[in-house]
Formats: sequence, C-alpha cells, structure tokens
Amino acid sequence: MNLEALAACVASASCAVTQVSTGLIVGTLLFLVAAGLSLIFGVLGVINFAHGAFYMLGAYFAFSAYTLTGSFLAALAAGALGVAAVGVAFERLIMSRVYGRDLLMQLLVCYAVILILDDGVKILYGGEYRLMGMPEAFAAPPVEVAGGFIPAYYLFMVGMALAAGLALWLGINRTRTGKIVRALAINPQMVGALGINTTLLYAGVFGLGSLLAGVAGALAAPIRTLTPGMGLSILIESFIVTVIGGMGSIAGAFLAALLIGFTRAFGAIGFPLFVDGTMFAIMALVLMLKPSGLLGREAA
Amino acid sequence: MLRVEHLSKSFGGVRATRDVSIDFPDGSLTAIIGPNGAGKTTFFNLISGHIRPDAGRVLFDGADLVGLSSLEVVRRGMTRAFQVASLFPTLTVEEALAAAVASRRRQSWRVLARFPLPDARARVEEVMELMGLSGQARVLSRNLSHGDQKLLDIGLALALEPKVLLLDEPTAGMGPDERWRMIGRVQRLWELKRMTVLFIEHDMDIVFRIAQAVHVLKYGAVLAQGTPDEIRRNPDVIDAYLGTDHQLSAAFGEA
Amino acid sequence: MRRPGLLRPGLLRDALAGLALLAVLLVLPLLFPQPALRDFLIYTIAYGLLAMSLNLLVGLTGLVSFGHAAYFASGAYAFGLLMQSGRVSLPLAMLAAVAGTALLALVIGAICVRLKAIYFSFITLAFQMFIHSVILTWVSLTGGDQGLRGGIPRPPFLGLDLGQAGTLYGVCAVLFVACLGIMRQVTQSPFGYSLRLIRDNPARAAFLGLDVLRMKLGIFVLAGAMASVGGIILALFVSGAYPEFGFWTTSGEAIFMIMLGGTQLFLGPLVGALLLQTLNHYVTVYTEHHGLVLGTVILVIVLGLRRGVADFVHEHLGERRAARAASARAASAPTASARAEAARGPGEVRLDGVRKGTT
Repeated sequence: MNLEALAACVASASCAVTQVSTGLIVGTLLFLVAAGLSLIFGVLGVINFAHGAFYMLGAYFAFSAYTLTGSFLAALAAGALGVAAVGVAFERLIMSRVYGRDLLMQLLVCYAVILILDDGVKILYGGEYRLMGMPEAFAAPPVEVAGGFIPAYYLFMVGMALAAGLALWLGINRTRTGKIVRALAINPQMVGALGINTTLLYAGVFGLGSLLAGVAGALAAPIRTLTPGMGLSILIESFIVTVIGGMGSIAGAFLAALLIGFTRAFGAIGFPLFVDGTMFAIMALVLMLKPSGLLGREAA
Repeated sequence: MLRVEHLSKSFGGVRATRDVSIDFPDGSLTAIIGPNGAGKTTFFNLISGHIRPDAGRVLFDGADLVGLSSLEVVRRGMTRAFQVASLFPTLTVEEALAAAVASRRRQSWRVLARFPLPDARARVEEVMELMGLSGQARVLSRNLSHGDQKLLDIGLALALEPKVLLLDEPTAGMGPDERWRMIGRVQRLWELKRMTVLFIEHDMDIVFRIAQAVHVLKYGAVLAQGTPDEIRRNPDVIDAYLGTDHQLSAAFGEA
Repeated sequence: MRRPGLLRPGLLRDALAGLALLAVLLVLPLLFPQPALRDFLIYTIAYGLLAMSLNLLVGLTGLVSFGHAAYFASGAYAFGLLMQSGRVSLPLAMLAAVAGTALLALVIGAICVRLKAIYFSFITLAFQMFIHSVILTWVSLTGGDQGLRGGIPRPPFLGLDLGQAGTLYGVCAVLFVACLGIMRQVTQSPFGYSLRLIRDNPARAAFLGLDVLRMKLGIFVLAGAMASVGGIILALFVSGAYPEFGFWTTSGEAIFMIMLGGTQLFLGPLVGALLLQTLNHYVTVYTEHHGLVLGTVILVIVLGLRRGVADFVHEHLGERRAARAASARAASAPTASARAEAARGPGEVRLDGVRKGTT
C-alpha cells in the first residue's frame, strides 16, 4: 500500500498522463470484449463463457497473420474475421443445441470449448509465452503530452475502440437491422412470425460479438504476451464490467471499462496488491445499490 | 380487519388502480369483478405486497402493510392463490403441502429432523381432504390435471392457516361443471374456516350465487359496491358490462 | 397401497447405508492392497465431496455455481497453513479450516445469492478467480504458483498416526462418510424440502412464507463447508496445497462430475467423480493433451446424449418400464398413460427450476 506514491503521481502531470494512457488501453480492450459479451447476452440471453478464449484466438490469429505477411492490417483482419467465423461455427454447431436447456449444459459446452481451444493453441503454438512485437507502422516516437509519453499505438487503439463502439451503437440504435435485433432480444417469436430468419440473426449477432473479442485480441497482440489461457482473466474482468455497466448496455460497458481501466492503472501505483480486490469491491457495491448496473435497465 | 384506503398505482402512464377504498369485514366472502383490464389482479398484487402502491394504505389487523415484502405479508396471515396455478412441479401433492405447513410453523430451517415432520401430517391430510386431493397425495404436482392444480394452489395457501385468503380467478380455464365443483369447495372452505375470502371471478352466476359482497372495478377505480342484488340492479354496472361481454350481459339479463 | 403415514424409517436406512459404504471403503484396500487403488480412492473421495457438495446447490436448490472450487482450495490452504504453524492440533485445524471457509462462503454468498440463474454462475466464477489470484499473489503466505510446500505435518492424535498410509486412508474414509451423512440428512430435512420449493418455484416459495435469499445463503455456506472438507482431505493426502485446487477448471470438472452422475440421485455426483477420475487416469496415461480429450468427451456427451449419463440410463429404464406398464394396462387407458408419465419422472424434471431461470 503506497498512497503517497499515488498522490504524487496524480499531482505530477507526466505520471498522470502516462497512467491515464495505460488506463485507457486497459479500458479499451475491456470495452471491446465486454461489448461483445453484453451484445450476445442481450440478444440471445446466454453468457458465452468461451468469450475469453475467443479473445485469445484473436491474438494468436493476428500473431500468425503478422508473422506470415508482416502486415498489421492483415493481422487485424485475421483476428477479427477468423474469430467471427469461429464464433458463428460455435453458435451453429454447439451453442444453438443447448438454448433453453439446463444452464448446466450451457456451462459445460463452454467449459469444453475453452479446454479444447486452450489445448489447441498449446499444440499449435507451444505452451510458452509468445511475443508478436510492435508493427513498424507504429514505430513512431511516442507523443509527448505535458511531460508524459503516449505511444502512437495507444492512440490508434483508443481510436479503433471508439470507432467500434460508435459503429455498434449506431448499428443497433439507428439501422433497420439494429431495430430487428432489438426486437429479437425482447420477443423472438414475434420476429420469427414476421418472416425474418431468426436463426441467421442469432448466428450473425453471435458472430459480431465474437468479432469484437477477436478485434480486442488482435489489438492486444502487439502489447501483450500471448499464452494459452490468456483469455480467462479478461473474461472475468469484462464480466465485472458488464455487471457494473449494466448487462446489454453498450454505453454502460464503455463507462465501466474506463472505470476499471483507471482503477488498474492508478491502483498499480497506489495499492498494487489490492487492485483485484478493489474491482470486486466496486462490483459488489454496484450490485448492492443498483443491481441492474449503472446504465442497465431494471430487472436484471 | 382488512381495509384498503385510497390505494393508487400507475405503470408508466397507465393508472392501473385509482383511489380504491374498500372495507372487508371479518369472515366475509367478497367477490371482485370487473371487465378485462379493470385492474383486479393488480389490486391483489398491491394488497399482497407483490407490488408497492404509489399511494394509499392497506390496513390489516390495524397495521399498515404497505412497504412490507410479500414474505412479511404472508407471515401476518394473508395468503393468495394464483390465476395460473403456481406450483412446485417436482414435488408430490403431500410433499408440497407438508413443506408449506412446515413454513407456517417456522420449521423450514430445521435440519436435524426428517421431512415430513410427523406433527404436520394431520394438517396435510385435512387440507387434502378439504380440497379433495386425498386420492392424489403421491402424484407429482406437474402431473395433476388442470383443475387439481388449481385446487393444490389454493391448498398451498390454505396450509398457511391464513386469516385472509386471496383467490385470483379460482375457476379460470375450467369447464362449467368443474367451475361449480371448485366454487363449491371454496364456499365450503369459507363456511368451515370462517376466514375472510376475497376472490376474483368472471362468471356472474357464480358471483351472485355465493358472494356476500361484490365490488366492481373498472379502469382501476371502484365502479360500484354492494350485495349481489344491489349490484345486479346497478345501472352503471350493467352499462359497464353491456356491449363489452355478451356472456356477462346475458347473465345480467337473466336477473 | 399407502405407506403407514408420513413418517418413514429413512434415518435408519440411511445410517445402515452409510455404515455399509464405510465398510466397503475400508475393506477394499485390504482386498486389493496396491497403493494405487488407495490413492485413487482418496482422490475420488476428495473430488467426490467437492461434487456432492456442489450438487446441494445445483440439484437441490437450482443454483448453478461455477466457482465451487474456491471453497475446496480455501479448506486445503487454511488447513495446511494452520498445520504448518504448528500451533494447533490436527482436528482443531480441520475444524478451524471448515469454519473459516464457511465464513468466506458467507461473505461471498451474501452477494452471489441475490443474482439469478446465469448471473449467479458468472459471479461465483468471478469470486473464485479472485480467490485464485489472491493465492497466486500472496506469495509470502501461500507460496504463490509453487503452492504450499514443505509438507503438511501430521502429528498423531487420539493415538492415530496419520503418517501411516493405511491410517490416513481410514481417517479420510470416516470423514467422508460423516460428511455424506450430514448432506443426506440436510437433503431429507424440512430445510432440504424448502430448498426444493425454492428450486422449483422461488417466487411461489416466497409466497409460502420462505425467506428465499437467506435459505439460499444457508445452503451456500453449508456447501462451501462440505467442499472444504474435500480440500482438507486432499491437502492431507498430497501433503500440500496448490493453486490448481482453486482454479476454474476444478469447478468445471465438478460440474462435469455432476452432469455425468446426475443431479437427482443423492450419490450421483459421487459416481460422476468416480467416472471422471477413471477417465482422467486413462487420458493422462495415453496423451498429454488432456484438455482436448476431456473437452471432446464433454461435447460428445452433452450434444450426443443431450443429458447426463446417469439421467440417460435412468430415463431409458423408466421408459421401458412405462412401456411395459402401458401395454399391460392397455384396457384402462387413462390410468396407464398417467402412470407412464409418472414413471418417466425424474429424468425429465431434472432441474426444472434451473431451466425456468434461464428462459
């Protein structure tokens, strides 16, 4: 516990800027993963416990594409589209068979898929840590703000997340398809009765949610070490984010992801051993005071 | 014993209950009637603590029930049965009743005894007898016929030895013969137990035959109240029903 | 036709069954003295307690916890640390570890039981990962990812020398059967039946005057305490405690054991633990890709049989019996079909409460 260091950091512009940028990065990744989790839950009513494994896959797909082509754009595309494809396959072949069945069965198939994906990655890439390295496009010197340094890649990441979040929000709230998806979340029978192919929509929504996890994984690849099982901690954190922000709320996920990001960044200086505990305390507090989350609808 | 004063509740912009004040005398058998959407079930939900009213009081044994959880309301002696029987599918009739009796006697937390407790037996048999379920004691609740499910639902409420029993459409979804059998049971129960019974009912024949007092709700407000004879002659009530439901108007026509 | 009243000689029957099980457990290693069998049995006992205690939540109350291993680990670590401190006797350390775990379950459960269905699953998982990360980061106390090493002393007590493998096994078997007895009693008590009400229809249970949240919390604490005994037995046996005890895969395996053995038969999860132990044994012998194989097996069972193995067998037998009954009583059609429906019972009902929660 070192609260003086924390106070000193907040007081010094350079340290504050560095930590804020770190918090933004953590928050960005969390937001992307949580938004996908929340989207799938909001529409399909299932929590995809394998969502973290999809994030891991995104990182490894990006790693492979980057190693093969040397292009970060290709890496990003591989992470996003590859995971979206895996997500659709998972939904069609496995998850759709346990909709409406015991919760126990839904948990078990996710558990099985995590085991298989983690082991599969271990077989293909080996169990040890992998580093992808920073793509050359972002080798530019860090941007200096008030004495603190922000790597160029960080700015790109935050921009990507903002764009993805905005696109998702617009897509859900301002397009016809978005309207149908929202209706699907409330009354699937009615949507089906209107002659809309709900099976396709479910797969599409699941694919989109998975794509977000894939994008997050691909974006994380240059700045994180890759290891089988890397998806678990982000799964838990993104769950905490969705609980704090409110299940099904994109804006809530954004707010909560930033909150957790900054808690992590500044907590690492002030109370490194209690960062996890603080996150859980915030979640418990929200659950006690407003069980539906900061921006969630009532009746969670 | 049970008095409702100026009870109001809105959902969004819809005023489901408007300034309802009713006095239910001890040991009375009262029908709540009204066209579809009149707020009858909402009224039950408000007095049983399921929903909190926006305004008004629910006085029961001199105390205001507003703000109490449904759990506390039940413990004070007001229980209810539901429009759609709300049961425990994997338990048999006698198991469910014995568990309800245990709850009534504050024995639900006992872990050292075996279920069912021997002293619950007489009470369980009595309720089964009253509801005509003695032959079905070992049938799983979900395998009961529709009528028996409704009976068990009432039996569960009865097992709690209530002072006030709320029955939300006890005859819903039943054929004519079954209806009369059901209502006969309700009446016998009321005569035997002398508790205060409130019931929601659509069938006017039934209402006029057994109720002591009738309260008519329309758009959430009390349209009329009185004895069955008074209600039958009340022009407002006839107006409210005419044209909205032919079957009901036919019932009035016969009178 | 009717049994003589509601009172059943259940207690006596359960006590006899418990003694018979204990006798089997104690005699088996005498008949087959290979140490491997004893090891296998101890693992099955430890994980069996984990699965059976989890089923108090899943099968009895309809709460699908995905974080039950947290209490398994908490029992193991608390016991190990107390014994290493050298200040308490072995039975006292056991009691303290169980009590400490119960307290932990009380705090975590107070938050978790407010949530429904899948939220409950996720938040229990989250808390478990929190416990796991505490174990990993608090290196000075727990040894971090190396685990609690240096051995757990086993000073003799009441003239029992647990250093001897046979005595150790015997003590574990007695503990195990005692825990089964406690769990059996709870499931057959008024409290156990109140929990069934909550599983089947929590809203209605509240209208019958049951304090649903508190009862859920009560069973959550008891299940945690029983899981901790499993952890204690394992820690005693391997003479250490490791972060894997509290890792999410351990919870996942416990759920799989329950699914294998069935949720509605009291000893089902124990059978599941036995099956999974056997499977794990062969998988680790033949391949290092344990996750790949286990994951595939789970998928095949869940998507292929569409239900637990025990439930599948149970249902299959029930259907055959029902078909026989139906053909025998073709004359009195309505009663026969009602009977057939009754006979199909348990397999289909299984987790009605849970299913309700998910839709």
